[in-house]
Amino acid sequence: MNVLFFGSLVLYFAAMALQFAAVAFRKEKLGKAAWIAFLAAFAAQTAYIIVRGVVARRLPLSNQFEFATAFAWGVALMLLVLRTRMKAEWLSAIALPMIFFILSFAALQPREITDLMPALRSGWFGFHIGSAVISYSAFIVAGCIGLRYILLSRKNREEDSFKLQQMDWLSYRLVALGVLMLTVTILSGAIWAEQAWSAFWTWDPKEVWALITWIIYVVYLHLRLRSRKQGLVMAWYVLIAVPVVMFTFAGVNTLMSGLHSYG
Amino acid sequence: MKKTVQFFRSMRFGILLLALIALLSVAGTAIPQGREVAWYAQTYQRFHGVILALRLHDVFHSWYFQMLLILLGLNLTLCSLVRIRKLSRAKKAGREVLLRLPAEFVLNEKQHAAIQNGLRAMRCREEACGDSLLYSKNAFGRYGSFVTHLSILLVIVFGAMALYMPKTVDRACLPGESVTMDDGTRIAVRSFRIENEEGRLDFTSELTVTLPDGRESGLREIKVNHPLSFSPWKIYQQTYGTAGAVTVQNLETGMADTFTLTDLVFLSLDGVNGLWYEAVYPDLIRDPSGNVTLITNTAGSYPNPVYQVQTASDGVYTPILAFPGEELQVGTLKFRFEDPVEYPGLRIKYTPGFINALLCGAFLMLTAGFYITFFCQPVQVRLDRDGCAVGGPKPEGMRIRIREWTEETG
Repeated sequence: MNVLFFGSLVLYFAAMALQFAAVAFRKEKLGKAAWIAFLAAFAAQTAYIIVRGVVARRLPLSNQFEFATAFAWGVALMLLVLRTRMKAEWLSAIALPMIFFILSFAALQPREITDLMPALRSGWFGFHIGSAVISYSAFIVAGCIGLRYILLSRKNREEDSFKLQQMDWLSYRLVALGVLMLTVTILSGAIWAEQAWSAFWTWDPKEVWALITWIIYVVYLHLRLRSRKQGLVMAWYVLIAVPVVMFTFAGVNTLMSGLHSYG
Repeated sequence: MKKTVQFFRSMRFGILLLALIALLSVAGTAIPQGREVAWYAQTYQRFHGVILALRLHDVFHSWYFQMLLILLGLNLTLCSLVRIRKLSRAKKAGREVLLRLPAEFVLNEKQHAAIQNGLRAMRCREEACGDSLLYSKNAFGRYGSFVTHLSILLVIVFGAMALYMPKTVDRACLPGESVTMDDGTRIAVRSFRIENEEGRLDFTSELTVTLPDGRESGLREIKVNHPLSFSPWKIYQQTYGTAGAVTVQNLETGMADTFTLTDLVFLSLDGVNGLWYEAVYPDLIRDPSGNVTLITNTAGSYPNPVYQVQTASDGVYTPILAFPGEELQVGTLKFRFEDPVEYPGLRIKYTPGFINALLCGAFLMLTAGFYITFFCQPVQVRLDRDGCAVGGPKPEGMRIRIREWTEETG
């Protein structure tokens, strides 16, 4: 099983290196090779998640390792969808390092399959954590698009203006998806908390940081309603918000103790 | 007055409040909440006075945090009221506005056909109006933002009710015993187990609830995540503990009784000679030199329970470690150490059921509101012979799509 995990990690690295080379040397063939490596990595990672779930006889989302693996998979899935359906080839060079970074973080965590602790044995488990995976992935990909927007807008070319508009719109749609899924995460978590701990909300650090993340992106959605706040300002906004998502994902569990400290 | 109302309902004010709530929330997680004053004095030294004065040690219950939530509620109320008025006006005027809009795109025949096909593929409603075709879809989408803001307001209101209205107490209850609440409701625990038949941690209690009017819940099982709801009570499997069990026999009379012990207690007939029960531990470690270390924490189970006791005999106290099955005699009393007894720590909540129902309803409404706002955006397009115009409250996405269609066809 570990072969699949480390195989996907190596393949993502290869895809990233090939993609950088394709951009640096402007070689289309290298770009295609990067895409093939990415597809192989994604297939291996998908197989790993399925096998782990079958072996554990539960959804593999119960600890930092499993969540990080699913998170990286979520970002990869979004890259796959955006590249195939929206022809967003330009996204690979920025999204691949993020996938590799998150999966590397996962590789540093303990990988043992453990029995699900009683507090996690609930019908809300997959719903709550699955929606968090989609939400965080959407925010990360929106941040990647923001970075690409900033880099492209620096060239200041007239022919890029529609492309920039599309990127801004795509980023907005991803933030909207992320906010919707984070809302589902927070609300399903509240209902679950009431069943498990008797209170809908306990101001636990993970809850609070999920709320902070939600507020940050809700403010983005409001600011973007004003047309002069679209474009570059919002691209910087989604990029700067990425560390907050990463802190909510990993920092809270590492630095703060609370009811969500499941390892 | 008008300006004040405008300010309180403005988006700028709403964003300011959200930013302040987020900032205070960061402080509320950076500084551990609800500790003893001495802890803050030791940890933050000369800054602890500032922390306590600003109530940063209890941010989420401070008056200023609650005030921010109230102001956010006010902001949401006012903007919801204004929004519903605007919506009803916009609905009436929507079609007329679309007909008056100047064409944004100049189209050739191919592009015209591409847009028409695209809009038909999106399953937009098509309507002829003179030389133009009007396409529309998701008219209800304009209500998304209103539903979202109203439901956030409801979540705050019902959430506050759900936080402050229920009364919660934590009670330990030994199997075979019961706890009685202030109103006379009786909760009787029949059994408790930590592990199930497969040896997995499980924490299951069997209990019955009897209301003051005599209604009974029947024997029910509760686990973590599976509380017992019996109106208006909700009983949670919260924690657990392990109690010592000691059988005491009076050798003169032959009478015997078994005591379940959770705290320090002196078992004696005359108050002088007897046994001080101190605690029962899950396990112990003996090093080669014979020193003993008592283990205080194992994963739920007591693999090798050991009693820590002291015998008291004519003022002489002797500390002893005893194991289940062992016996001790002090004067005319014989003490037999039994297997420890596990018991549940119950959280008992008195909560009117309608609050949870209202809050869950508001949660559903909020999720639906977000979905409608972002994924059911209204589409309004007027397709003329040689151009087209995009209307509706959020035309941006449709404009991009039309431009994509036109560029694809050249």
